[in-house]
Order: sequence, then structure tokens, then C-alpha cells
Amino acid sequence: MKILLNAVIVIAVTLGAFASSAQEQGHLNVKTVVSMEEVTIDDNGDRHTQLVDATTVVPGDEVVYTVTFSNVSDVPAENVVITNPLAAEMTYVVGSAFGPGSDIVFSVDGGKSFAAPEKLFVTKSGIEHPASADDYTHIRWVMNNEIVAGAQGMAQFRARLK
Amino acid sequence: MQNRPTGETAVQRRCIVNAVFASLIAGLAVAPAAWAAGTAAGTQIDNTAVVNFDLGGVNLSQSSNTVSVIVEERIDVVVTLQSPPVPVIPGNVNRSLLFTVTNTGNGSELFNLAIDSIIAGDDFDPSPAIPAIYFDTDSSGDFNAGDVAYTPGINEPLLLADESINVLLVNDIPGGLPNGDTGRSELTATSVTGSGIPGLTFPNQGDGNVDAVIGATGGLATGTGEYIVADVQVSVIKSVVVADPFGGTEPVPGSILTYSVTVEVSSPGTATNSVFTDPIPTNTTYVVASIRLNAIGLSDAIDADAGELDISGIPSVVVRLGNLTQADGIQTVRFQVTID
Repeated sequence: MKILLNAVIVIAVTLGAFASSAQEQGHLNVKTVVSMEEVTIDDNGDRHTQLVDATTVVPGDEVVYTVTFSNVSDVPAENVVITNPLAAEMTYVVGSAFGPGSDIVFSVDGGKSFAAPEKLFVTKSGIEHPASADDYTHIRWVMNNEIVAGAQGMAQFRARLK
Repeated sequence: MQNRPTGETAVQRRCIVNAVFASLIAGLAVAPAAWAAGTAAGTQIDNTAVVNFDLGGVNLSQSSNTVSVIVEERIDVVVTLQSPPVPVIPGNVNRSLLFTVTNTGNGSELFNLAIDSIIAGDDFDPSPAIPAIYFDTDSSGDFNAGDVAYTPGINEPLLLADESINVLLVNDIPGGLPNGDTGRSELTATSVTGSGIPGLTFPNQGDGNVDAVIGATGGLATGTGEYIVADVQVSVIKSVVVADPFGGTEPVPGSILTYSVTVEVSSPGTATNSVFTDPIPTNTTYVVASIRLNAIGLSDAIDADAGELDISGIPSVVVRLGNLTQADGIQTVRFQVTID
């Protein structure tokens, strides 16, 4: 009897843990960092480029958004999809989206649908045009494989401040 | 009836045309510059990624932290000359040049204005009026009584991002200058917050107390305008000889009027592209093939020679005198009409 009770309690606690993970990080930790490129020249005259945290920008600046996610649970995470809405003041830098092991697609309709760049169209003044980076509202990385327990993934893109 | 060759009035006409052109420019709404100033200073831009995944058969969603960047103010300004070279006569006073000052940064700025009329590379120094800098308050494109003077330290213009203002530089023209001499005058607009090497930061001095950063223009801009001396004097004397059908000189129907007009440049300089135009007087009829230039007959038709009877509007005698200088001496145009 005692053992059964313990088992029930354990299960209840585990279920509770599942329920709360939707609000707090517990199974997939997701972290975003915004950076800018900093170029330094060392004493030998060699250029070094590194990413440093960005807090202030002026129009024309390019920033780098990097999303890292790690599976801190003990089961695989499947069908992992990272979606990043683009701020209206930011223009996506074409070709800058990067994510190992993922297919990258974009939305021009506020996130309702996603497709590869060449399949995206917008209608302006009744005329359909191929979509440009200015039209993108969201970027999405669709991971090709599951993220096993303890593994990580990353997604990155650049944007220019209007 | 216009009996003066338009060599002289061509110069004045150029003045009028340029003034009209300038007025047209000034009359346009002071529209935002073609370049967008960019996202407003002080704007906060957030980014949050969302990850959707399945775990143990349960569909879950996890947001990342939100990262924010704040937009700082970038200080940039552009000065655009609006006036084409302004024809002036030595001794003119209060001749103006029109410029547009545009805030091409992303925050509002006060701009200091300065004039410099001692510019290398021209023939004379215009003499700044006192005061020399005005806002084109009445939007005429020219300096008029309605324009408000700029006083440093008192009424620096405040321009929002992308906003422009029209500014006039007012100079007097020295005397005794030869035709064709040019004189330049320069307007410089400088951000009051600061100027200097791009990237220079003024902490907390941007809109909303964000930092202000000097942009590619260095926070200041200069435009250079030009005056050109165009003072050509042309003397024109018209005379008429009347020959009536009876051997006398009475102006009666049938009388032939022979007009002679002498044209002479009496100053240094060139009356370029001088054209003599004289409408046939009402109640008279042009005598066919009667146009002469310096005793050489010109055909009535429009052809390769220097003149014709232009019948496109009111019939007029048109004779092209070319580029006349004092050295060309007296040009005489003659034509005849009969009294109806």
C-alpha cells in the first residue's frame, strides 16, 4: 500500500512538472542573444572579428540575433521548430539566416504561412511581386532531426536597423 | 512694339527666369528628403524567439528571453544649394542665394547657421549684408521684407528628423567688376548638440536622453552658391523715314515707312545670342523682302540666314545678331511697311 501511494505521488509530481514546463524553462532551454560585430586589429595588423553584446544601435547598424536551445530533459525533443518574429524596424539581411540541420523558411503574412524565399509573393496595388527581405515578418528554422536529451541546437540571423 | 534687341533684355530675362525657377523650388512644400532619417531615436526594439516541439508525445512551446536594443540618435545634416548662378550687376545690394538645410538624422536637432563669403577660387568676394542669413519665411525663394533674419544664439532652427528649412544668404556685390566675374558665398549648418568625427558620442544628449552619435556627415554640412556679373549695356536707336505715294513725307494710307534700328554694345562684355524682334505695327502691312541687316537682304522665310518675318504669332521681324561685343560696332536692321 505504501509503495503504491509513493508511486502515485511520484507520477503526480512528474505530471505537475510537465504542466509547469510550458511557462518556465525545464525541458528545452531557449536563449536569445543580440550582438554586433566588432572588428579589432591586433599588434600584428591582423583583423579579428568577434560578436559583442549589443544594447544600443543607430539606423543602418547590423545586429546578429542568435537563438540557442538545449534539451535538458531525458527524452528526445521532436519536430523542433524555432520561429522568430521580425521587428518592424528591422530588415532581414538576405542570406544571413543560419541553423545547422534545419530548413529555413520565411513568412510574409504575419506568421500564418511559411515558405522558401523563391515561393513568397506579396501583392501591392493589385500586382503580385516576388517578396523581398523588406516583406518578411517571421523567420522559421525547422529542425530536420530530433534533439536528443542533452543535445543543443542553434539558429542565427542578421538584421539591419531601418 | 518692342524695338530693342533682346540681347540686353536677355540678361535681365535670365535674371527673371532664374528668380522664377528659384520661386518654383521654394514654393514646393518642404518635403522630406529622399533619404529616410531612420528609426526614431529612443525606440526600443525587442526580439523573442519561440520554439515549438514534441516531448514524450506532448506538444510544447517555449519562448526565449526577450532581448532589447535601444535606438540612439544619429546626428546628420545636409545643405543643398537651390539657386543656379545668380546674374548680378556690380553695386547691387541684397542679392540672395537660396539653400535648403535638411536634418537627415533620426532625432530632432537645433542647427547653427554661418555664412562665409571669402571663398578661394572665385573672382570676387561678395559682401555679406547685415544680417546676412535669413529664413525664407514667405517661401518666395528670394530675399524679401517678409523674411525673418537668423540671429545666432537666438533663433537656431529646430528640425525634426527628415525636416527641412529654406535659408537665404544675402550679399552685396562690389562695384567695378568685369562681366563674367564670379563670387561665391557659403552656408554652413552645424548641429548644436555637436559635430566631429563620425561615431563620436554625446552621452544622453539625444532625443529622450539616449546617446547622440555623430553620423557620416560629421554633424555639419556646407553649400556653396555663386553670383556671376552679367552687366552688358546695349544702346538701341530707332528711326523712321516716311515716303508717301506722292513723293512727299506724309504718313497717309499707302505711305511706305522705312524703319532703321541701330544696335550697339556700349559696355564691356558680350550680349550673347542677341535677337532683334519687332512686331509689325497695326494698321500697316509688311513690305515683302524688305528686311536688311547691315545692308544685306534677308529672306522672309525661315532659313539659314539671320532673319525672317515670323508669322507664327503677330507678324514680327526677327533678326539674330549673334554674340555682340563692343568690337562688333553698330548693327543696323532695316525693314519696311506700308500704311493700310
